Amino acid sequence: MSRLKTTHIVETLIWLTIIAVFFVYSFEFNQEIEIYIFGATGWPRVILGLLLLVTMGNFLHLYKKGSEVQKGRVGITDQEENISYDSLYSIWKLIAILSLPLIFAWSLKPVGFYSATPIFIALTILLLGEKRIKWVLGITLFIYLLLIVLFMVILNAPLPQGNISPFYDFSAFMLTLNTNLHQSLNF
Amino acid sequence: MIDNFISGSAALFGDPFTIGIFIFGVIGGMLFGAIPGVSMLTLAAILLPFTASLEPAQGVMLFAVIYCTGTYGGAITAILFNIPGAPENAPTAFDGYPMTLKGQSGKAVGAAVLCSAIGGVSSALIMMAATEPLANWAISNIGPPEIFALVFFGLAVASSVGGRTMWKGWMSVLLGLLVATIGQDPVGGINRYNFGFADLAAGIAFVPAIMGFFAVSEIFVQAEKKAVGKYEAPKMSLDFPTLLELWTHKIAVIRSMFVGFFCGILPGIGATLAAFMGYGEAVRWSKDKESFGKGNLEGVISSETANNAATGAAMIPLLALGLPGGAMTALMVGVFQMHDLEPGPMVFYNSPDLIWIVFAAMFYANLSILFIGLIETKTILYLLKIPFQFLAPMILLLASIGSYIGRGLVLDVIIMFGAGIMGFLLRRSGYSIPGIVLGIILGKIGEQNFAQGMQMVHYDVLEYLSRPICLLLIIAGLLTFFTGIYKALSFSLKS
Repeated sequence: MSRLKTTHIVETLIWLTIIAVFFVYSFEFNQEIEIYIFGATGWPRVILGLLLLVTMGNFLHLYKKGSEVQKGRVGITDQEENISYDSLYSIWKLIAILSLPLIFAWSLKPVGFYSATPIFIALTILLLGEKRIKWVLGITLFIYLLLIVLFMVILNAPLPQGNISPFYDFSAFMLTLNTNLHQSLNF
Repeated sequence: MIDNFISGSAALFGDPFTIGIFIFGVIGGMLFGAIPGVSMLTLAAILLPFTASLEPAQGVMLFAVIYCTGTYGGAITAILFNIPGAPENAPTAFDGYPMTLKGQSGKAVGAAVLCSAIGGVSSALIMMAATEPLANWAISNIGPPEIFALVFFGLAVASSVGGRTMWKGWMSVLLGLLVATIGQDPVGGINRYNFGFADLAAGIAFVPAIMGFFAVSEIFVQAEKKAVGKYEAPKMSLDFPTLLELWTHKIAVIRSMFVGFFCGILPGIGATLAAFMGYGEAVRWSKDKESFGKGNLEGVISSETANNAATGAAMIPLLALGLPGGAMTALMVGVFQMHDLEPGPMVFYNSPDLIWIVFAAMFYANLSILFIGLIETKTILYLLKIPFQFLAPMILLLASIGSYIGRGLVLDVIIMFGAGIMGFLLRRSGYSIPGIVLGIILGKIGEQNFAQGMQMVHYDVLEYLSRPICLLLIIAGLLTFFTGIYKALSFSLKS
């Protein structure tokens, strides 16, 4: 009897889509290499072929055994847990937690590290359930200062500065402060 | 050898500035290894430009020391947070993290300290005694066919651990290999799968992918538990393993030392495969296979002994042949080049002082893991007391900085968070994150050596297999592969 669930079918379809997209895209660079008979596509296509085979094997397993763990497997640190979302709020919260870092990463180019970071820290702490505003602000300030001291002052690491005013101006202000500090300390 | 070692030690400890660099490397490597979200590679990438102002010996020594202590430091985050500080610490998390969940974090970290020191010190001693003969052996016996064969065997071993089924283990490894094909192909330099992004021509950088799959995905897993109210803070314990407990695993330590050293001396392989193979062999020879992945101390011991044993050995192809064995040794090549030096056989004749300062420093750095590690570990265990909502943004930001610094590309930060989301979803479905990462790391090495090997034997498979080491490794890989397929099929088809 089949133990397939909708999620198993979706999972298999995603893998097949990845294989199809990568295979079709491989024609874009299907060029011969004079010194190598398998060309640029040989290796990726072998990987895609093997991936297709094991995806079929995986589908067979899902069909017969569902999500059951194969006997004798070692090193599985992520046991399947029954995580159920009892409210729409929890789902939205998870979506927000997953998308916030991507928004932060995207904002680094226009806004810069120095301006985007404190907002990112505070929002992450809030999303992870901290409700005490004094703690949110205090920890935000602490982490921000710690990173600035370690990476800007001590290690002089180049961080994204942004390209939109006033964020860019703020980054320039921070870097000027750092230069002045280094000069005054003869660092 | 002893005279050279003494002169290297004298040069190391005779100059206060060099001592300062050594101490900075020891503490910096341990801290950056042990802070979740950053790694020794982050520190090395930041420090690379500064090494121009140091003496060549000081620069190379600093990186070698960071390599030794950072490899150990990465075990701490693997054990405490399920976030391996470096890919070579990934198998440590298989058993280390379940031990933390059981309230045995002190035991796991204590074993990691001791075994890292044993693996590292023994490797440093062999390196000092045998760099030249081993390098000569490697030159005459190890070529691209053998390296490809070892990569194949290593990937077969990696597929057998981590995933919920053998299928998922292989799917994870193959996904990693597929990701590694993004960028220029290693033979003809043709752009593959850049999907219109010019920055992808150089491929997916290791550090963002590793940070994303390991650190960010773990944060998301814990955040999800927080969101649904199922989060449980890991338990802290300071009970270190007794000597008797460790003595019972002596065979595992010795076996992992050999596995680690063998993998380390092979150019392009390095400590990551060493750790996976050390762990895989521990499982293979154990009478209690089922207990692995559920908090078996031998899992931590095998992985940590093997990866530190590989650090000293990895210096052999770097110094003797000029071939880096991994990301960290590749950065060391950068230090050499900044001083107009090329690592390779001539270094032994042109710069013997440099070689012996580096050897001595690696020996003392591994020894210091034992003493400083035990003191530092007790402090680091208190990280478990920091509430998750305060630790998570810190880890995410450190990982962002670590990813950005390597190439100065915001795209790398986006890739890291993308890998984090992907890792989170794949983990929920039972795929192996270490398998994916190993695939990414070994993909280009495997392809390049396969191509070179094929060209060497003029595409004659029989000639390829006539090389004994190559044949042995290919057979071992195929056996692992087909045994896995047989087990998976018989399990799936059994009603």
